[in-house]
Amino acid sequence: MKDTLILGIESSCDETAAAIVKNGQEVLSSMINSQISIHQQFGGVVPEVASRKHIENIALVVETAFREAGLQYNDIDAVAVTNRPGLIGALLVGLSFAKAFAYGIGKPLIAVDHLQGHIWANFLEHREINFPAICLVVSGGHTNLLLMEGTDKSRLLGETRDDAAGEAFDKVARFLGLGYPGGPAIQKAAQQGTAGIYSLPRVFLDRDDYEFSFSGLKTAAMNLWIKQSRRGEARAEDMAAEFQAALVEVLVEKTIRAAKNYQARTILMAGGVAANQLLRQLMTIRAQQEGLQLFYPSLNLCTDNAAMIAGKAYSDYIRGDFSPLNINAQPGLNSL
Amino acid sequence: MYILAIDSATPVAGLALLNDQKVIREEFINFKKTHSETLMPGVDRVLHDCEMKAADLDAIAVTVGPGSFTGLRIGLATAKGLSMACGKPLLGISTLDVLAHNIVFSNNLVCPLLDARKQEVYTAFFAAEGDVPKRLTQDMACSPQDMAERAKDLASATGKSHITLLGDGFYPYEEYFREYFKEDLLVAPAPLMLPRAAALGSLAWHRAKNNDFDDTFSLRPVYVRLSEAEYKLGKGAL
Ligand SMILES: [Zn+2]
Repeated sequence: MKDTLILGIESSCDETAAAIVKNGQEVLSSMINSQISIHQQFGGVVPEVASRKHIENIALVVETAFREAGLQYNDIDAVAVTNRPGLIGALLVGLSFAKAFAYGIGKPLIAVDHLQGHIWANFLEHREINFPAICLVVSGGHTNLLLMEGTDKSRLLGETRDDAAGEAFDKVARFLGLGYPGGPAIQKAAQQGTAGIYSLPRVFLDRDDYEFSFSGLKTAAMNLWIKQSRRGEARAEDMAAEFQAALVEVLVEKTIRAAKNYQARTILMAGGVAANQLLRQLMTIRAQQEGLQLFYPSLNLCTDNAAMIAGKAYSDYIRGDFSPLNINAQPGLNSL
Repeated sequence: MYILAIDSATPVAGLALLNDQKVIREEFINFKKTHSETLMPGVDRVLHDCEMKAADLDAIAVTVGPGSFTGLRIGLATAKGLSMACGKPLLGISTLDVLAHNIVFSNNLVCPLLDARKQEVYTAFFAAEGDVPKRLTQDMACSPQDMAERAKDLASATGKSHITLLGDGFYPYEEYFREYFKEDLLVAPAPLMLPRAAALGSLAWHRAKNNDFDDTFSLRPVYVRLSEAEYKLGKGAL
């Protein structure tokens, strides 16, 4: 069978990315223009600033993806683009560019759900994944547990009721004065601290469902911090360590519980927070104890990238599931 | 030379196909702001009706601002995508120049106005003695009062007896402008009131024939204003 080459474009948050992927698996090029240093001075992603950077960078990022892969525009079979969920103004830059580019080279357009892209990052690197599998998607915007019956077939078991895990990391990091982005900042501080010196709740761990809540944990951390600061004995490193431990324990135990209840032998992790070292370590230990196979993407495929978008689109391409030129961007969640 | 003109800078979405200075097809819609849904199907319709493909175009023209930030980016991202895919050059034209091009062979001071919200308008002043507008000032975002005073001063300094206002920035302050300018005010008639993609294509052709193209990779929107966050941070453009 002839190889299928797909160009992926991603601009849902603060990375402008383009990639070319062969047959949904082989990454021929993956370019990411990160805006982290720009948003750092604002203490978080500013949507209008992100959109402005996307329109400045998009054409060159796409051009570089072709150059790195050593391909001509005509060599590709389809153009895939994230159209949901994300910052609406940011999504619209990638989507508008992708539509016009696909039309210009006369190839089909495939609109991709960003979360399904994150999950697909696992299939880019691992060939031996068995189903059913439980997939934990954790990022700045999402905390979802999914039951997967195939690469392309998933059902939502539960999600966060309030803040996403990555969002809680960002807010607590800012509160503790550790900087942005919060995930890496908390992880770094936690390495110099000890969990258990402070005590934070494992929210919803006692509940028999797959819902999460991190807003309460965040508030508990902030209140405890204010109390300790008044006594003059607050150590941000210890607070970061306990906060990370409390958050990660809930993620790990709920995921393991779901695997047992649904007789899944495989666990997948996806999304930016899946880059967290403690989460990887604890999940590895617990999966081994329970005799489960664990997969997660390498660090550069956990965070936002376009290879995962081009990869996911391969399954749509095979089914002939193309998107019309009038397709719009959707800021909220809808498909999972 | 075939030029496709794309405008989504304001609530109007406009498309036009021109062959040099001949307008072959034009679309204008001032209905709902769903540019991301309507723009590309419109491009396809315009080309299809004229039995052309994107690859047959010689250049792509787009309004680069000022205007709605999101609208500008939808238009420019679309124009960049087409320009790159087809290997055809890009021409970015000011929304205010396009509006000013609606008025020609006139001895008035032409003041296109775009609604900039926050009790301001985007504007620049033009002379329109010939068949293309001659720009007299830079783009600015200012209050309608400020704009009116500047227009009056410039009109008297340049010997213009009348001031022509047009653009969607006129409507919210109509009463004020009529009161301020009195009989010196001329308001553009309905078909010339809002940006026309044919005017965009026409201005683009004047540049294209001199090979004065923009760079597809580096062309950016002209926002005139900083983003809210940058403004609060007290910094210049990033
Ligand atoms: Zn993401």
